[in-house]
Formats: sequence, C-alpha cells, structure tokens
Amino acid sequence: MPGRPCPHCGTEVPADNRFCGNCGGKVEPAAAGPPAAKTMFFGANQVPGRAKLTVIKGEGTDGVTYQLNGTDHVAGRTEGAILFPDDPLLSPRHANFTYKNAKLHVIDEGSVNGVFIRIKAPMLLSSGALFLIGEQLLEIEPSPPDLGPQPDAEGTFFYASPKRPSKMKLIQRLRGGEIGMIYRSRAETISIGREGNDVNFLDDPFISGRHAQITMNGDGQVTLTDLGSKNGTFVRITEEAPLNHGDYVFLGQQLLRVEIT
Amino acid sequence: MITCKSCGKENQDHYKFCLGCGGKLEAGSVPAAGAPGPAATGPSAMEGARTMLPPAPAATAAGELQAEANRLAPKPKGGIPWGDSPKMPPVMAPFQLPPNPLATGNRGPRVPTSPTGTPALEAVLAPSAPAPGPPVTTCPTCGKPVQVGFAFCGSCGTRIGKAPSGAAAALGVQKTMYGSGAAPTPAPAVAAPRGRLVLIRPDGTEGGTHPLHDGETLIGRGQGALFEADAYLSPRHAEFTATASGLTVRDLRSLNGVFLKISGDEALESGDIFRLGQELLRFEVISPPQPLEDGTEIMGTPNPGFWGRLSVIVGRDVDGSAFPLFGDAIVLGRERGDILFPEDGYVSGTHARISLLEGQVILSDLGSSNGTFLRLRHERTIPNGSFILMGQQLFRVEFR
Repeated sequence: MPGRPCPHCGTEVPADNRFCGNCGGKVEPAAAGPPAAKTMFFGANQVPGRAKLTVIKGEGTDGVTYQLNGTDHVAGRTEGAILFPDDPLLSPRHANFTYKNAKLHVIDEGSVNGVFIRIKAPMLLSSGALFLIGEQLLEIEPSPPDLGPQPDAEGTFFYASPKRPSKMKLIQRLRGGEIGMIYRSRAETISIGREGNDVNFLDDPFISGRHAQITMNGDGQVTLTDLGSKNGTFVRITEEAPLNHGDYVFLGQQLLRVEIT
Repeated sequence: MITCKSCGKENQDHYKFCLGCGGKLEAGSVPAAGAPGPAATGPSAMEGARTMLPPAPAATAAGELQAEANRLAPKPKGGIPWGDSPKMPPVMAPFQLPPNPLATGNRGPRVPTSPTGTPALEAVLAPSAPAPGPPVTTCPTCGKPVQVGFAFCGSCGTRIGKAPSGAAAALGVQKTMYGSGAAPTPAPAVAAPRGRLVLIRPDGTEGGTHPLHDGETLIGRGQGALFEADAYLSPRHAEFTATASGLTVRDLRSLNGVFLKISGDEALESGDIFRLGQELLRFEVISPPQPLEDGTEIMGTPNPGFWGRLSVIVGRDVDGSAFPLFGDAIVLGRERGDILFPEDGYVSGTHARISLLEGQVILSDLGSSNGTFLRLRHERTIPNGSFILMGQQLFRVEFR
C-alpha cells in the first residue's frame, strides 16, 4: 500500500495511518487526486515561489501578512484585496502587485501619492523624482541655466535679488502639497541627516545622523545615495518595478516588506 | 569704547549703534575698562555715523564674506536648522547687477551700475523722533522706552508682555500716526507745486527733484529727467495724486512695483513682496492640508508648525531659497536672527521681523540702516517724508 509523507517531518506514513509514526503529527487521510499535493507544504497559504507582504509599520495593522498567491493583487483604500481603509494617503485603488514571468512587480495604479521603494544602491534620479527620508518628502530640481537679464515687452528689466549661482534646489514637500523649505545648493553635493550635514532635520526621529547624499555630475545628472541609514531612503517609482525578497515598499503610510520563499 | 547694554559688545566711542546687535548705543554707556581705543585715529562724528552704513560693495572683501558665511550657524528655536553649514565658494560677486544690456546703444535707458536701489540713508534719515504723545514703558531687556501697546521693543526686538490694550491696539496706534501725517494743511500759493519727489542718491545726497502738482502725476521711464535712465522703471510706473487732503500713490501694474519704506507694523497678506537690502522677498501663507475629492490627502512631510514661507525672488517667476516661518516671530538679518542673508551688505545685522499676532502676520523693521520696503498692493495715502522705491531709485516724498 502506497504511503505518503508526513506533512510535518516528511517521514513515510502508511496510507491507513492517521498520525505520523515518527513525529506524531496529524496526517490527513490519503484522499485520491491532487488535493494531497497541497498538504505537502508547510504554512498552508504559502505557495513556493510566491511572495507575501508583511506590514512593518502601518496604522494599527502591523504584522499583518498578505499572501500573493494569485496573479494580480490590488492594494488601496477602498478597492482590491489588500485594503487599508484608514490610510488617507492611499488612493481608492493605489497599486498592483503582479507576477510577470514568475517575477513579482509593483505597479502604481495612477495613485495620487505613488509607490516608494527602498534603494539598495546609489540611484539615478529622474527630474522631479520624489524621495522619502524619514518623514521628509523631498525633491531635487536642477537649477535652470541663467539667461541673463531679459527686458519685458516695454523694455523694462526685472529687479531680482542678487544672482548667486546654484547647481540645484532641494525642495521639502509638506503634507497637503505646500512647499516647506527650499535649500539652494552651490555645491555638487547635498548631505542630508539629523546633524552636521548640509541640510538637517533635527526634529525628525526617523532620520539618521548622516542619512543620505545627493550628488550631481558634470552632465547635471543627480544620484541619490543612502549612507547606511537605519530606516533607509525610498524613491518614488515612475514605472513598474521588480521586487525581490527583502525589498521594502511604502504605500501611503504603510511600510511593507516583501518576503519570497 | 562703549559697551552695548543689549549684547555686551564693545564699540568704538563714536559709534551710535552697536556693531554686534544693531541696538542704539547710549552716549553715557559705561566705557569698557582698560580698552585702549584707537581714539587718536577716530574719524569725525559725521564719518563715525557713516561707518555704520552697510559696507560698500567694493570694500567688502571676499574673505570677509567667507568668514561671515563660516560663522553662519542658525539654530531656529524649536525648529529645524535648515542648512547648518552651507558651503560657499571662496570668491563671490554678490553685488553684481545684470550687466548693462544697452551699454552700446546710442540712446535708450541705461541700466544703472549702482548696485542697489536702497542707498545708504543715514545721512538723510534724521532718525524721525517719535511724537512725544503716546505713553511709554520700558523694555525689560535693553531698557529703551517702548510705546505702550507695542508688542515688541523697537530697539532690541524683545517681545513685551501683553499690554492691557492688546496687540490689536498697537496696530491701531500705528495707523493713527499715518492719519496724522496726512493731516490737511492750508492751501499753498497758487502756482507752486503741492509737493515733490526728491531723488536720494546711493551716497545719501539729494540728486534732483520732480514736482507733484495738484491732481495726478504720472511717473515712468521717459516722464522726466530723473526717470530717464532707469531701465527698471516701466514707461507707466506709478501715479501720485495730490489733493488738499493728502497725497496718494498707486502702482500702475508696473513690472517692478512701488515700494514704501515701512515706518511701523504692516500687516502682510499672502503674496506680499518686500525688499530688505538687495533681497526681494515674497511672503506666502502655508495653508492646512485639504483632502482631494476622492478623500485622498496629498502625502508629504508632516507640518511641524509652519504657518508661512518666505521665498527669495531670483528672477521673473523664479524663486531661490525658501524659508519656513514658524513660532511667534522670525527675525531677518545679516548676522543675527532666524533667516540670514550674510552676503548682503545692505541688510543690517538684525533687520526686520515677521510675527504672527492673533492670526495676523505682521512685518516690522527693527531699526535697520536701510529700511524695509513693502511693495504696495493698493492705492495708498503716504505721509510727508515717506521714502518710496521705484525702479532702481529711492525718493523722499515732500508735500505741503
């Protein structure tokens, strides 16, 4: 009589036994057909090669795990399978976690606030790209070329503050969309942190002493580097992004960790 | 040596204002013991007054600026110290104006090479002695007299405990002073103009006048010898209206506006623009977040209490730095305060203050050398002796 493996320890269990002779674990009756295969795996919901999302920091939902066993998994405030109804920073339909060629990707579903992924290596920022450092939502804007004085249609010149050339501006975006501060940098780098940097956010408990650095190269391309911060640096995605085990994703106020077994 | 009562800095005997804090020095201040002052080489009293003027651009060595920049270490109270140690290139040309774009033209407006439209005023601004009328109290910090009802000491900027009349009354007091300035006077001789604009040159001397007759006077580039050369003046820039009951000025939607040197507290509206030294600044209110139609709120840094923002205007529709405004008051200056302009020699050490009083945002000058100029939004009655900035030039308004 063909036996079947114990789901707990893997020992061969005779077909008519209801408990494993090795570990004592309960063994389902050997039903005919495919269902038996499902019992082969630990963690009834975890499918091999599939991912789950664990809420690391959210609004009262910490530790909750979402299994991504289907193809599309929509997250949002009111739509989809992964719901955070109390997070006002999420759009009704915010993002989709989907498999493409057996690889997990995240797609921004046209949300207002976007999807942010923690960077693992220095990253080239596209113009207007938003990034998160601690609680700070920031943006880099390269300074436009100085066209010199230009008279208006009547031949009058505009009076402005004295010219002080700068490479780029670091813009702080406040909740609600207002600009808080703008730091104008004359150097090619801006260091950001809590203390001793070009720009310091003393009151932000989620920022490390030296947290991140912006570098502009000769072509005006801007790179964002995390300086080994505790909480990481997150960049808003502009196109669908592949996810790997251990990646962190911010949706609104929800910080999610990707786990792929 | 005179030791400043406000900050303790030692100043030369002939100084009228403290180099450290800008506070007025009293002649009878205790001389610093054993300080071998260079009295023998001291300039005359008049020159002494001039040494208090913002340094002339040419005289400001780049090294000095660097030193100033290095000392810059703003620690806004209870807030976020933006840019603790900004990096600056060792050599700068902070006072450069746009090069004269019309220099080679035969005719046409000349772009002035004068670095600023706010020349040194010390010589012409006999510190207008406040009317002896209002009751006075004493500032607990510097001991200077403070008019009852004022919320801040005019000398050192210290906040004064709430006077019984309240902050609103302070504004009222200021406003009535304007009213009295525009009091009707007996009609002058028939032919003589009712008033005039006196051009104040960058060195403080007078540089010609322009008459203000009864009725409207149009000011603009091409409207008189004084205005011919100013490429920052629109052809139709401003209109003055002189009547028996006073003088008003109106900006004719000019490119660069009409600025009035403020003489008391001024309420600021969102979008108001003012000048501090060479800096052109715009104030804006930061509104509380509003959810979108679908209930989503726009993500961002949680507002730590910012109620306003001050942007440096660096071009037409182009902003440079922007500073958040928070707390009760933010002080602007070259050396001391919450928002610093270390490279602008025309900004006083402590220059002006923006405060939030009972929901109203107030701009005040803190006894700066060159004054604080507010761009006029609406037609405004201006008192005799007012200073008006139009284009690149400064004028004193005189009328009977």
